Amino acid sequence: MSKNLKRVMVIGGGIAGIQASLDLAERGIKVELIEKNACIGGRMAQLDKTFPTNDCSICILAPKLAECSRHPNITLHTLSEVKNLSGQPRNFNVKIFKKARYVKEDECINCGLCIEKCPMRVDDEFDMKLRKRRAIYIDYVQGVPSIMRIDRKNCLLFTKDACRICEKVCEREAIDFDQKDEELELNVGSIIVATGYDIFDPKTLGSLGYGRYPNVVTALEFERLICASGPLDGHLKRPSDKNDPKKLAFINCVGSRDIKNNPYCSSCCCMYTTKEAMIAYEHDNEIDTSIFYIDLRAAGKGFREYIQRGCDDYAIKYIKGKVAKILEDDQKNPLIVYEDITTSQVKQLKFDLVILATSMIPKKDAGNLAKILGIKINDFNFFKANSYQPQISSKEGIFLCGACREPMDIPSSVVDASGAAAKAAEIVMRG
Amino acid sequence: MSDEAIRIGVFICHCGTNIGGVLDIPELTEYTKTLPNVVYSAANLYTCSEVGLSEIRENIKEHNLNRVIVASCSPRTHEPLFRSTCQEAGLNPYLFEMVNIRDQDSWVHMKEPEKGTEKAKDLIRMGVYKAALLESLEKMQVSVIPSAIVIGGGIAGMNAALNLANQNFKVSLIEKDSELGGLLRYLNKVYPTNEDASNLLETRNLVENHKKIDVYKSAVIEKIEGYVGNFKVIILQNKKIIEIEAGAIIVATGAKALSPEGYYNYNGKNIISQLELEGLLKENSINTNNITMIQCVGCRNEERKYCSNICCMTALKNAILLKEQNPDANVTIIFRDLQTQGVAYEEYYRRAREMGILFINYLPEKPPIIKKDHIEVYNEFMNQGIGVPYDLLVLSMPLIANEDSEQLAKMLKVPLEENNFFLEAHVKLRPVDFATDGIFVCGSAHWPADISESISQSNAAASRASTIISKEMLEVEGSTAEINTDLCVGCEACIKICPYSAISRDEETDTVVVNKVVCKGCGVCGASCPQNAITIHHFTSDQITAEIVTYGGG
Amino acid sequence: MVFEPKILGFLCNWCSYAGADLAGVSRIQYPTNVRVIRVMCSGRVDPVFIAEAFMNGIDGVLVLGCHLGDCHYISGNYEAELKMKMLSKTLSMISFSDRVRLDWVSAAEGNRFAQIVRDFTEHIRKLGPSPVKNKKIKKEIIDNLNAVKFALCDTRLRALVARQRELTTEGNVYGEIIPTEEFEEILDNAIENEIIRHKIIEKIKKEGKSVPDIAKEIEVEPHKVLHHIVTLRARGLVDVDQINEEIPTFKSIKEV
Ligand SMILES: Cc1cc2nc3c(=O)[nH]c(=O)nc-3n(C[C@H](O)[C@H](O)[C@H](O)COP(=O)(O)OP(=O)(O)OC[C@H]3O[C@@H](n4cnc5c(N)ncnc54)[C@H](O)[C@@H]3O)c2cc1C
Ligand code: SF4
Ligand code: SF4
Ligand code: SF4
Ligand code: SF4
Ligand code: FES
Repeated sequence: MSKNLKRVMVIGGGIAGIQASLDLAERGIKVELIEKNACIGGRMAQLDKTFPTNDCSICILAPKLAECSRHPNITLHTLSEVKNLSGQPRNFNVKIFKKARYVKEDECINCGLCIEKCPMRVDDEFDMKLRKRRAIYIDYVQGVPSIMRIDRKNCLLFTKDACRICEKVCEREAIDFDQKDEELELNVGSIIVATGYDIFDPKTLGSLGYGRYPNVVTALEFERLICASGPLDGHLKRPSDKNDPKKLAFINCVGSRDIKNNPYCSSCCCMYTTKEAMIAYEHDNEIDTSIFYIDLRAAGKGFREYIQRGCDDYAIKYIKGKVAKILEDDQKNPLIVYEDITTSQVKQLKFDLVILATSMIPKKDAGNLAKILGIKINDFNFFKANSYQPQISSKEGIFLCGACREPMDIPSSVVDASGAAAKAAEIVMRG
Repeated sequence: MSDEAIRIGVFICHCGTNIGGVLDIPELTEYTKTLPNVVYSAANLYTCSEVGLSEIRENIKEHNLNRVIVASCSPRTHEPLFRSTCQEAGLNPYLFEMVNIRDQDSWVHMKEPEKGTEKAKDLIRMGVYKAALLESLEKMQVSVIPSAIVIGGGIAGMNAALNLANQNFKVSLIEKDSELGGLLRYLNKVYPTNEDASNLLETRNLVENHKKIDVYKSAVIEKIEGYVGNFKVIILQNKKIIEIEAGAIIVATGAKALSPEGYYNYNGKNIISQLELEGLLKENSINTNNITMIQCVGCRNEERKYCSNICCMTALKNAILLKEQNPDANVTIIFRDLQTQGVAYEEYYRRAREMGILFINYLPEKPPIIKKDHIEVYNEFMNQGIGVPYDLLVLSMPLIANEDSEQLAKMLKVPLEENNFFLEAHVKLRPVDFATDGIFVCGSAHWPADISESISQSNAAASRASTIISKEMLEVEGSTAEINTDLCVGCEACIKICPYSAISRDEETDTVVVNKVVCKGCGVCGASCPQNAITIHHFTSDQITAEIVTYGGG
Repeated sequence: MVFEPKILGFLCNWCSYAGADLAGVSRIQYPTNVRVIRVMCSGRVDPVFIAEAFMNGIDGVLVLGCHLGDCHYISGNYEAELKMKMLSKTLSMISFSDRVRLDWVSAAEGNRFAQIVRDFTEHIRKLGPSPVKNKKIKKEIIDNLNAVKFALCDTRLRALVARQRELTTEGNVYGEIIPTEEFEEILDNAIENEIIRHKIIEKIKKEGKSVPDIAKEIEVEPHKVLHHIVTLRARGLVDVDQINEEIPTFKSIKEV
């Protein structure tokens, strides 16, 4: 085994992990890309359009996904997680746990026959549980690798020892119930962590009625609701009565900048609520939107101008106000009770649909991964980054990028990812 | 190749029942045999399986095929696979053509099998007519100079240079000033840890002593030539002309603070700019009790619509320092929105509030009014002005683009955005790239950025540059544009239209030429050339017209 | 028999073709009438291709690209938009502009793609078969389409369109920016002129004719015809044939 391994492990296949992998691969360094889910793409694949250009998220992401799966220097490990780390920079030894897919990767051609026949109906996590999927499925239609997986928690063969329908219909004989979970060992010179973020659950804020009022949804649910390939085929309806909503309200900083929950600012919500309001308006020019905010954070390139366009061209009303609670009338219309910050008055407004910009929070298992890797986390459970070299973690040879170290938008994640690739290359290529 | 008879082989995929269950594959196979130049036509159960692929390889040999068509799924997913299969059998990969009869036929016409089959016939016939006109194309190789040039020796430029040098690349760092360090030299402490700026300036020593880095100070760029992998930059230093070659260029020329002259009674004495305050803090020469800062001076207005990103944090930093020095001082920040996104910055804001720094909001319609010893700020709640006393008034000025960025942009042939910051290739997915290959940008040259952001971006730019200069050879796609010099009249319309600056006038031959290394093969120039002088290889007008004619006439 | 429109679709590789694939993956059913030619970018579509399609009896043409701002090649679809505008102006002179449609489809819009195909197929079905297929008027229609093609190939017109973005945003060599309306007017005139010129050439291919005679035949005022003749002479396409009683006749001298 050579001392200096020209090989880097990237953990997490969201936009940050993908960009880091592609940069390294193009740089001539071998990459082991570890993804927990069955497909790479991360949160960006769930978004409809993305600020500040409002281009379609999957349109710009799909070519990157394809490049990642095709690149000779990248080995993709899906359904995989890191279990153990030993060794030192330039020569780490990593144990990977790979869950069985129960579908042969080389045989499945993503034809979908099995999906049609599978009798199970399960909440689709990718579509924020707004749609059902089957027990054999692909995370999302454009997902890469474009092959099925069987979810053993729900598959009848595993739960009731019955069925095997997919096995019968699959013309490629791609189903393999005998597959076993595996453990692999990989040797790498450096590691990049890009495990992204989770979404704060607003149910814990009882006052906002999320979970009780059907017409209060989260921003990520809203992304799926307006997406052309989402559960409503892009025709926005309100959940309670399937009517076209005309009055929308977005509430910023739900769970963020809040000492009781997440004291930090999630940094993207001010921008993406504006984006979501714009897209809603483009779908239906009669839609009238209000955004409740504390401060509008729009310091990125062209962001201030974007907000301005929101006011001028999309008739978005920005209300500087702290939302106290949400009530519901008998038509199931949410009523927002808020304090107008500029006048200090308490007011109430009625809407058809309310969207909560919930905080971006660390991955549930971030603490665990930190322990395995031996890196530090900060006060909020994000991986701790150096203040001036933000891709550097607390441990030599391990680097951070994207929303796993702090909430950030896609442009920053991409910059961060390339930056982490450069730092990792510095380790493995040092002469 | 041209004299050789055209021998087309067509492979039609059942894709199990995906295609075969809807379209009449035997009929398609028979029909295909009747088409001109087709010498072989057969169906496969799964063309993309190893069995299917070896059938392609074997039949290329057995039937001497010089064109191959696969009618199956989408070229977006499978063309690379079939192309390399052809190549393995000794056929130029550009002599392969794909026809989509699944995603755009059998799957979308499941209830109309006859019509679907008719459609497939047309599509295959169009493919056959195009295939007959396909040309073999070579992927060109161009050599790459394995070094980089970094323009600008601020913290971003220095860090980019250092990263690349640590990766063992040679780097030339060009600085117009007589010393490195840029804006950082004028700063006192830096947020969010309030470290001394001078600590970060130590990067200078690392850079100047690195054996892989050549530093050119007091150097002026005269001219930039070349293209990705092979740039030449000519600089003037101490009246000497120096020529530097490199495979990639990183622009890190930073920005400068807007002059406070003319804003809010600025006088340079008790009304000063934030940058001047940094200087005073460095000298430790402040002993006033009432210090007030105004944010967004000269920006977020009609003239300069943007938010300069760094001023809120800078003001917070200095307010905290002042308060730490003198806890009894009254420090007030008059602001519009506080831009402290993220984890550490929001924390910083909270600390400032806890220390007793006063925050007063103002509306752009009712800006603060400067009186002799106090400032009047309108308060909507009370519907009247409130007075804030001051001994020292500090104006937060935005960063603006350098005057010479326009000139540099012209030399590099890269665009600027409306505020004269450099314009990246794609805001989201290519934030530090230019559309022109091989040139990258980082730090405040791109957009006002703080130290941590600048360093982060400089690492990113270094990474992007390394993807080029790490290669011995760049491989160039075969399907690019080519200008027929006999037809070209030199109108230069294409030069303007190409989004990648791939076309230029060759000064030696005085002809307009496409640089294949830079061309991405989009074909826009071809559709635009008034003389029809441009061939878009693999999507030639003849090939497309052949498809149209046979569809129409068939 | 019901009329089944024959429709050609140009789809750019990155968004609209991906959108069409997505319709497939999602099994969204739509009419079978469209045959697709994949191009890398909608900006590759030369308007001449579309004239060619109509001359070959195709009933309708769809050009689909990425949404504005999303083009994989930055600005290709803006160029496509300008070209299609010019094409549509040209085709409107021979009542064909209804048979072309430019639209945008993203890679997430499988449904939208299917809907565009449905709408456009229905639209063409209502318009009826291309007049090219009508034996009685075929010759005249082909002549008209030839005139269109002549205009679309004309180097001056193409140069004008190729420069449109430059002229309306950056300005000409003197730095003068031409307002879009003014530009459109220039373009309209140029198109009309080219079509008339082609008609003139068609009329004087076989035998020389005088200006008044040509004017009568193509229903254009004589002074305008004279003006065009002068231009065509300058381009070396037309020359004096004979001079009868001091009235010259003109004849076309080059195959175009
Ligand atoms: C509602 C909403 C709208 C938004 N809109 C925009 C917008 O318009 N524009 C914009 O720029 N940004 C937007 N954002 C922000 C954007 O989503 C993030 O910037 C971006 O997705 C961060 O990318 P990432 O790769 O860091 O994380 P992720 O996308 O979360 O990717 C992380 C990946 O790592 C995998 N992973 C996690 N843990 C492990 C593990 N232990 N082992 C292996 N793999 C693991 C995950 O499965 C996932 O694939 C929005 C965010 C929200 C919530
Ligand atoms: S598992 Fe079989 S039936 Fe299912 S998509 Fe793959 S090949 Fe088709
Ligand atoms: S980005 Fe805006 S909405 Fe989100 S947490 Fe920060 S201030 Fe609140
Ligand atoms: S547009 Fe055509 S004629 Fe004009 S310079 Fe380019 S290739 Fe030559
Ligand atoms: S094909 Fe596109 S990239 Fe290539 S020269 Fe033409 S316009 Fe430029
Ligand atoms: S690539 Fe789709 S329009 Fe240019």
